[in-house]
Amino acid sequence: MTRPLAVTLNALGLYAIAFVLAAAFAAQLALHELPCPLCMLQRIQFAMLAIGPMLNIRYGPRPSYYAASLLAAIVGAAFSMRQILLHIVPGDPGYGSAIFGYHYYTWAFLGFSSAIVLLALMLLFDRQFEAHDVRDQNRPGASARVAAWLVIGLAALNIVSTALECGFDACADNPVEYELLKLQR
Amino acid sequence: MEFTALFVAVTVAMLVAWLGARPVALLLFAAVLAASIATYLHHATDVLNLSF
Repeated sequence: MTRPLAVTLNALGLYAIAFVLAAAFAAQLALHELPCPLCMLQRIQFAMLAIGPMLNIRYGPRPSYYAASLLAAIVGAAFSMRQILLHIVPGDPGYGSAIFGYHYYTWAFLGFSSAIVLLALMLLFDRQFEAHDVRDQNRPGASARVAAWLVIGLAALNIVSTALECGFDACADNPVEYELLKLQR
Repeated sequence: MEFTALFVAVTVAMLVAWLGARPVALLLFAAVLAASIATYLHHATDVLNLSF
């Protein structure tokens, strides 16, 4: 795999992360379901996944950048697995709505597991890591720049959403309304 | 409140990864990962109100 192809795949990875963060937001707003603390930890790990591809695009691919994303994916998979196990007893309705038959945390587990596999596959291709002339390092392309700013923007929107939801106190285990908006009433 | 802080930290880490210095970005990444795990472990010891 050549360096430019690896950089393109990293940009596609950023779009995939942006899609996940946007879908979580869309479900939150459309279904009026606020994310629980464990759900927010999973969103944070999806955002953390983006740091590796950003560094790969900006400085050229390195195994250490893939390793950073791999760590975020493993931690995210552990968080989502914990939530699956909390609701595994037969008769438990689960947390939130099921989308296409699975709850958010099950989708999150599938997402993190896929990320682990894809990152391991990327690490199989050594040619992308070969030494190169620093002058060959181009500025990130327009599509990569859009992807990076999309993910950064979605993470920033999560700051606003979480601040509204939790206010200045600890976040509720089972949130049903935005604490800061409640204070204004 | 701690989750808002974590989102702020991860957004700053992303901004540094995209615009700033590489070692600082990796340092921030490690700090946010450690803080996420610490937050998880803190809440993992909470009493659970199970729905059955």
